[in-house]
Amino acid sequence: MTVAAGVGYALLALGPSLSLFLAVISRKPFLVLTLLSSTLVWLMSLIALSAVWRPFIPFKTAASWPYAIVIITSVACQEALRILWWRLYKKMEEILDAFADRVSKPRLFVTDKMQIALAGGMGHGVAHAVFFCISLLTPAFGPATYYTEKCSRIPFFLLSALIALAFVTIHTFSMVIAFSGHADGNRTDQYFAPVVHLTSGMLTLINLASGGCIIGIPLLYVVAAITLAYCSKVVWRRLSANANRIRQANLH
Amino acid sequence: MEHYARPRSVIETLGEEIVRIVTPVSICMLLVVILVSVLNGASNFSYGDGVTVNSVATMAYSENGSDSIWDKLKGALLNSLIFVAVVTVVTFLLVLLFYLRCTKFLKYYMGFSAFMVLGFMGGEIVLQLIRDFSFPIDCITFLVILFNLSVIGVMAVFMTKMAIFITQSYLVAIGMLVAYWFTLLPEWTTWVLLVAMALYDLAAVLLPGGPLRLLVELAISRDEDIPALVYEARPVLVNESSTAPTRIWRNGRGDLVDNQNQTSSRSNLSPDSSSRSHLQDETPENDVEEGVIRSEDPELMAPLIQNVNAAASEDLFLEGIGLGSSGAIKLGLGDFIFYSVLVGRAAMYDFMTVYACYLAIIAGLGLTLILLAVYRKALPALPVSVMLGVIFYFLTRFSLEVFVVQCSIHLVMF
Repeated sequence: MTVAAGVGYALLALGPSLSLFLAVISRKPFLVLTLLSSTLVWLMSLIALSAVWRPFIPFKTAASWPYAIVIITSVACQEALRILWWRLYKKMEEILDAFADRVSKPRLFVTDKMQIALAGGMGHGVAHAVFFCISLLTPAFGPATYYTEKCSRIPFFLLSALIALAFVTIHTFSMVIAFSGHADGNRTDQYFAPVVHLTSGMLTLINLASGGCIIGIPLLYVVAAITLAYCSKVVWRRLSANANRIRQANLH
Repeated sequence: MEHYARPRSVIETLGEEIVRIVTPVSICMLLVVILVSVLNGASNFSYGDGVTVNSVATMAYSENGSDSIWDKLKGALLNSLIFVAVVTVVTFLLVLLFYLRCTKFLKYYMGFSAFMVLGFMGGEIVLQLIRDFSFPIDCITFLVILFNLSVIGVMAVFMTKMAIFITQSYLVAIGMLVAYWFTLLPEWTTWVLLVAMALYDLAAVLLPGGPLRLLVELAISRDEDIPALVYEARPVLVNESSTAPTRIWRNGRGDLVDNQNQTSSRSNLSPDSSSRSHLQDETPENDVEEGVIRSEDPELMAPLIQNVNAAASEDLFLEGIGLGSSGAIKLGLGDFIFYSVLVGRAAMYDFMTVYACYLAIIAGLGLTLILLAVYRKALPALPVSVMLGVIFYFLTRFSLEVFVVQCSIHLVMF
């Protein structure tokens, strides 16, 4: 619908991530590298999934169960990837700590670890937004727009940008929760991310029904808000525990 | 909580060198993608035939949309073989000239080709842009501005005392212009050419008789710079005592700040600044309207990557990658060009391939840097990135896109 609309949709999906990037991640080159590698890993998982599902697409039926299976397998694959990512991060943390000792710098702070987790999660979120929303935006820069039949009141590009924004939030912050859960051994935190991912994937299935997007998308945003709130709780808990520990150590 | 001056954590400066190389590569790719989308938007670019280009790369076979697949493949292979042969011959010529110490000649030729690229190719592209956007500017102003910008570019390539930001920007601009020209080639030819150049790069740098390896060894034995257009990331040295990193500017190669006395002596501490002869890249000229082959200067480039000032510290892994505290990474301009060609050609299909190929190329570059840390000698930067890029392009085009479009159209996402 013109360049302005195209840029608008892109900023809708990626605006908060852009500001987060400029404020937090671009200051530390290591976080930029983490972001790029996690985007790459997400892309590779997506390619692998698409290679597996390629013979079956496009789906001949209009039913919703093939999509459910697609979502369940994809989410399972990506959660397995998250655990792999955690193992890699553990190894990287050891190398970094050894390096820090060698150049007599302080070891990784808690905030550093959380920032690395944030960068990793944002990589996943940005990858989702880029491949599911931005790469389809090319027609939006032209003179017309597109409506899907199931949700015929709102342009398709706006819908995908809104969903992408919700997913970016979910991916970014659930990684922080997952990493701190794995670090502390907290079961709730560890299971939070997969559950939220699966729930949000399933919620998008509601969009398959006619007019379903009016219910599906707000529910998705409720999930995103829950993720944000829980993440802030986890971070607060971790930071205050850390501060207590430092205070105790300073007393002795 | 009490307030205290927090000591800087280790992740604040780690990886800075890599980001300094990734940023200009990304900017060059972005500019080429923008140029390709803006200038080729109207024409039919399924076979890259908006403008037909006659050059050494299409000497054997000019692709026609209606040929069969086998014909196209054969023609593309023939084209690439001729191109790689020409490049090999000319690179050997360059090695010979460097061996005979004709550095003045090489330097002047480099300045001349920079002027050609910036003036003629840059001028052509700007003319096209002016035409497309109906930008009101008259000939004389345009010529004056173009001439001035080209001359500054030549000086940036010639002189070593130029502000490094200007040199870097002009190198990126030259890479962008040459890459855009390459994207005008027919589609099959471009892909086969990319793969062929990656293989040539591998052979030329690693095989014992390869021209680029000879060049590197000559340069090392004489303690001079390789005569080629290379992009150099600005080195940063972290002073142990102070908390702020101090930047080192290399002034004419002679006077490095003496904090770097731990660096290996083999690199660029050349005695006189005039011997830092940087050489050109290719200057293929083509007259688009007439389809005439003008003076064809095949390319002389050094598509390789080198870790300069490898500090002799114990933590070899992180230091060597360039994640260490000192050292600059040099990337040949040919690498910029071919990465951007790959991404530009991906842009001619769709933007999803652009993102996938961009990530693949950056991943390849990262892998190459890690290999650079392990092997500590000049390495070819093309093969890994180009192979990954080509693989990702075809996977995305034939598999990922269908999957993602299918899911997105029904607003089912994960």
